[in-house]
Amino acid sequence: MRIDPFALRKPAALLGLALVAIHLVLALFSPWIAPFDPTELVGGRVDPPGGEFLLGTDALGRDYLSRLLHGGRMALFVTFTGVVAAVTAGSLAGIAAAWFGGTLDDVLMRLCDVKLALPGILFVSLFITGFGESFGVLVTLIGLVYFPGVIRIVRAQALTQVNLGYVKAAQLRGESAFSIIAREILPNTLDVVYVEFAIRMSHAVLLLSTMSYLGLGLSPPTPDWGLMVSEGVGQLAFAPWLVLFPAVFISTLVIGLNFGAEALAGALGLDASRGHVGGT
Amino acid sequence: MSFLEVKGLGVGYRRPDGRLGPAVIDAAFSLAEGESLGLVGESGSGKSTLARALLGYCRPGGVITSGEILLEGEDIRKLDGAGIRRLRGGRVAFVPQNPLSSLTPHLRVGSQVAEAVRIHRRCGAEEARQATLELFAAVNLPDPAALYDRFPHELSGGQRQRVVISAALAGEPRLVVLDEPTTALDKTTEIQVLELVRSLRDRFKATLVYVSHDLNVVAEMCDRVLVMLQGRVVEQGATTRVYRAPAHDYTRRLIAAVPRIDRAAQAVAPAAGGEPILAVADLAYRYATRRRWPWSRGADDGRPALAGVSFAVAAGETLGLVGESGSGKSTAAAVIAGLIAPDGGNLRFAGKPLPTLASARDPATRRRIQIIFQDPLSSLNPRHRIEAILARPLALFHGLAGAAARKRAGELLGQLQLDPAFLDCYPRQLSGGQQQRVAIARAFAADPDLIICDEITSALDVSVQAQVLELLKSLQRRSGAACLFISHDLGVIAQVAARVVVLRDGTVRETGATAEVFRRPADPYTRTLVDAATRGYASLPDLPGTSAAANGTEP
Repeated sequence: MRIDPFALRKPAALLGLALVAIHLVLALFSPWIAPFDPTELVGGRVDPPGGEFLLGTDALGRDYLSRLLHGGRMALFVTFTGVVAAVTAGSLAGIAAAWFGGTLDDVLMRLCDVKLALPGILFVSLFITGFGESFGVLVTLIGLVYFPGVIRIVRAQALTQVNLGYVKAAQLRGESAFSIIAREILPNTLDVVYVEFAIRMSHAVLLLSTMSYLGLGLSPPTPDWGLMVSEGVGQLAFAPWLVLFPAVFISTLVIGLNFGAEALAGALGLDASRGHVGGT
Repeated sequence: MSFLEVKGLGVGYRRPDGRLGPAVIDAAFSLAEGESLGLVGESGSGKSTLARALLGYCRPGGVITSGEILLEGEDIRKLDGAGIRRLRGGRVAFVPQNPLSSLTPHLRVGSQVAEAVRIHRRCGAEEARQATLELFAAVNLPDPAALYDRFPHELSGGQRQRVVISAALAGEPRLVVLDEPTTALDKTTEIQVLELVRSLRDRFKATLVYVSHDLNVVAEMCDRVLVMLQGRVVEQGATTRVYRAPAHDYTRRLIAAVPRIDRAAQAVAPAAGGEPILAVADLAYRYATRRRWPWSRGADDGRPALAGVSFAVAAGETLGLVGESGSGKSTAAAVIAGLIAPDGGNLRFAGKPLPTLASARDPATRRRIQIIFQDPLSSLNPRHRIEAILARPLALFHGLAGAAARKRAGELLGQLQLDPAFLDCYPRQLSGGQQQRVAIARAFAADPDLIICDEITSALDVSVQAQVLELLKSLQRRSGAACLFISHDLGVIAQVAARVVVLRDGTVRETGATAEVFRRPADPYTRTLVDAATRGYASLPDLPGTSAAANGTEP
């Protein structure tokens, strides 16, 4: 992979990467960083920020900072697993559609059309109503939501390759379809796949928060940012930080992922092609 | 005072690290009014950059760093924005290489030219329309009134280039800069456009700067020639003088590298007698258009790509397959290689019927038929190192792996005069000629009996082409493989092929020994091709060791 270091030196890129890194560290080490158990009632009801509880406590007297840190862990874990599933399955299906064409391609594309025609929230609420709100269901849901978009993008990228010389040469050597997909086509779609992953991550974090806010995501007492916003809305007039802090956590992560995705696309030079070195 | 004088001109391109890489270094020449100058050189030599600088223009990232460009005594580098706008398309006009990308696809061609007329002649719409129709007539476009309302995609390549030339003439330019105006065109269309350019020179008394990599075309069109190498002007002078008595070593090599059909071909001789390695009979293929409904049949687009093509390749011989784009020659290659199944006809390989698709052939047959493609970069997977690219056929066909495969891959590179250190490079790190040599090495790695070469040198510079052809011939001689060599370039065919098949519109027009067919073409179409290919030769020198030309190069 060719990474262009100049594209990573832009302020937005640096900000994005820094935000993502901070969130990752906080989420990974939250059990050790968090001062209290996120579900234990340790303080008074709605203590203001400062003092023993750095970011105050919620309506039940749980430490808000600890809940925020653990919430990030949950959010990142669910979205990461779901998006990895969507991107992996979507890439393989997209390349297969491009390579085999014909009926497989038609069927996959029409299924994508159906999914893309359904309003997102309707799809999510139907799914949650049908299957409940367990961790596995949420991961599957996120996978299903982003799968069609990934298929389309990867298929388009793969289609530009099926008529290139190296693919034809592999075909004429008698390589198996699997070998052509995995050895010849997939490596040349990876740039797109990585960027797709980063973009879908930011969408997924936002989607998960929205779902929890609407009561379609994780259920209490699990610490979750969307849930915390929704619980805090009732006290907005006298304890605005209950909404403000989770909102800041959500938006910094989403902004970081967005900038990071853009920086990654720039660094991979997705459209720019490089000249060659040396002469004949 | 000369009409155009360039002194100490330097142009650089900004690199990613912010420094300027020189593209044209200290170029100087002068041109009298009405003269035509040919700029020749290989890709990357700076000839297009120099030509564009004559309009005070650089491609994005480029800067004119030094020197003067004096047009009738006035330095165009000192012009302000408005002056430059009046200059471009006014006194100096530009004709680019690709006529399709220089016309706006959604506007009618007439209105595009009329716009240029209105701007430069400051006239009304009706007057501009009349002037445009006159211009269309001047560039020999058929039925100007009807053509006026067409869109660019409704025109042929030659017609588009005429439209672009007519737009260039809209401002009644004194200097016309043409950047490879016929490179994207077929040989027979090229003749017509060159005819037109010549008449412009004679009728409009325009001064021409003609950029081309094709020495024949420059010999034919230009009074003077300027040879560029890596941004520097290495030689300039009257065309006949430069071509007959090149002073610089590079010019000499460049001229020697031009493939000519009047030079004796040292083609690989076929093995005597025996059954042909490949025989195709009555091949037919028609590109199906997309079905409208799942149950409907594919519509017919009228013209078949192949209609009853028959020929045979003897073991060890090189058969040339020549024709213009659309003649069906690449389709024939794809059918023989097994990429597409023909609609009719039959294939025999080494005396046995050959299954149509590669997937239906047994591994040994797949090994024995190899193909090399036109575009060297896209025929090598950009994510694989050269070692992996060469190791794959070695593993698949010869069971070589690990150190043994690496050793053999290194040997193959050596046979193509490539450093074995390239094994650890990615294709992008190699030049076009090197990439194509790796593609040849990959084909020979299978140890084939038949190699299909589909326009393998048309993306390469002329001197690189000569080298690649030599290497291919020597490898072929060593291995005894037969070769089906496909090209639009008769000169290249003459260098490699003992026999030739001329294709047009999917049918065979003529078959025979290359020397015979090119010297005395029996078919009128072949004659047109031969005439097109030999036009510029009159100015080229007769090199020692070559036969006197049939078309007569006078001493």
